[in-house]
Amino acid sequence: MTQTLAIASRELWSLFRVPVGWIVIALFLFLTGAVFTLGSLKTGEPATLRPVYGITMMLLVLVAPAISMRLISEELRTGTYELLASSPVTSAHIVLGKFLGALAFLAVMLLPTLINVAVLFAVSDPNPDPGPILAGYLSLMLFGCLCLSLGTVASALTDSQTLAFLGTLLTLVCWLMITNVAPKYVGPELGARLASASFSARIDDFARGAIDTRHVVFFISISAGLLVGAGAALEFKRWK
Amino acid sequence: MIEVVDLHRWFGSVHAVRGVGFSIPAGQAVGLLGPNGAGKTTTLRMLTGIIRPQTGSIAIAGIDALARPVCARREFGYLPESAPSYPEMAVRSFLAHRARILGVSGKDRKARIQAVQDECHLGPVYKRRIGQLSKGYRQRVALAAALLHNPKVLILDEPTNGLDPTQIREARSLIGDLAQNRTVLVSSHILPEIERTCERVIIIGAGKVLADGTPEELCEQNTGGGCIVECRGHAAQITSALTAALPGSTIGSDPLEDGWWRLNIRTKDSADPSEPVGAALSNARIQIRQLRPQTAGLEEVFVRVLEDSIGGEE
Repeated sequence: MTQTLAIASRELWSLFRVPVGWIVIALFLFLTGAVFTLGSLKTGEPATLRPVYGITMMLLVLVAPAISMRLISEELRTGTYELLASSPVTSAHIVLGKFLGALAFLAVMLLPTLINVAVLFAVSDPNPDPGPILAGYLSLMLFGCLCLSLGTVASALTDSQTLAFLGTLLTLVCWLMITNVAPKYVGPELGARLASASFSARIDDFARGAIDTRHVVFFISISAGLLVGAGAALEFKRWK
Repeated sequence: MIEVVDLHRWFGSVHAVRGVGFSIPAGQAVGLLGPNGAGKTTTLRMLTGIIRPQTGSIAIAGIDALARPVCARREFGYLPESAPSYPEMAVRSFLAHRARILGVSGKDRKARIQAVQDECHLGPVYKRRIGQLSKGYRQRVALAAALLHNPKVLILDEPTNGLDPTQIREARSLIGDLAQNRTVLVSSHILPEIERTCERVIIIGAGKVLADGTPEELCEQNTGGGCIVECRGHAAQITSALTAALPGSTIGSDPLEDGWWRLNIRTKDSADPSEPVGAALSNARIQIRQLRPQTAGLEEVFVRVLEDSIGGEE
């Protein structure tokens, strides 16, 4: 566990040592702040962050690949992967450490958005229900887990950060299209099956304050499966 | 300490390592010598677990490196060819990070970092960012990182690559110091580096072990087929005496002072020609002041072994 945490802490620290880390945070906070101001602060309407979560999810589709693109690709490109691969750690330690570092960065990035919550509590009468707010943040972290684990797989497959970024982004966009748009154009049975794999419907459920265990299991199981895939990709490199 | 048996590695259709095997006892400093593309780095990458061999076995400090790779990796420190590190980190942060990854316990960590800092003379740059350091210092930082867990075995891949002559001398001296109390395997294509730091040499070419022994043994094995003689007389008389005694041999002559000549005689076979040369010159009443068999240097051995292997394959 010490090794995993060592890899995670270096990863988190290194994301703050490169411009892309700060650019991603600044862009994310600016856009979520704008969405909050325009979507949640409306006179005479109930105090809720529900519109913010949907847009934040879309932002994560763009931001998470930017965070995850360098996780392993950078190590492969610069040769530091040889240090890791010859250290007394398994591929699982490496993947989990990288993923946890990126997830911690995501949490740090979401932290300043709590100012929006404070503002909402300050200006609303009656105060907003904290349940949907907490559930909404949980959904963003779960969705972030899924995006970052997908990004970890892409990053383990190539030493090009650009390819890792595009691979993750395109997969997420395709997933959104297939589960949100395609159901309207296919038969009702297939459409229902495709829609059941949608992220946005689940995040909307969370934003309404409903923490459905099936949704939690959905995000966690897919993330875990992808991380296992990333570990397998690194093991495969030893045989290739 | 290191047991390697019949390693084979293919990359697609390329058979990069073909049955490499050697055994290195504890405390020995061994040089893995070979031209570029000989399979040295691939062999070291298999030893260190970065890639796996398709067949063969590796044991490090008695641990089967293929069955228990994580345990085996605790036993060695490895310096990859490009001495990679994280340029954005300070030396001390990098060493602390590597110590945690290498499993150095919290209570020992500070002491071990201090020890490698002293061993690799990193004091002046300890607080600086790695990206700001010279190539020589970056090499030392990477070497220090490989020593953090005080490994019994040190594996160095081209440790002086890209260094200037002063840095090479410093690196060589550092490696020599480290080899005092560890088993060291150094790969290089630079002969003086191996000759000065290693007590045993394994020559590898085309993915195979071509020769294995101490530099003296290898030179001795590859000596013969020539001698050096210093004699006084007429050039034509000397030449006719020698060509009669050793038909087909080549004779190189350099004039010295007072009618003396230094002759470099090479025969077609590998037998030492000193005796027939001495007899032929004595019979022709030519004065001899020195006669010795030609000894090969490591460089000559290296070239000869590689040429023999190419000739054998053809």
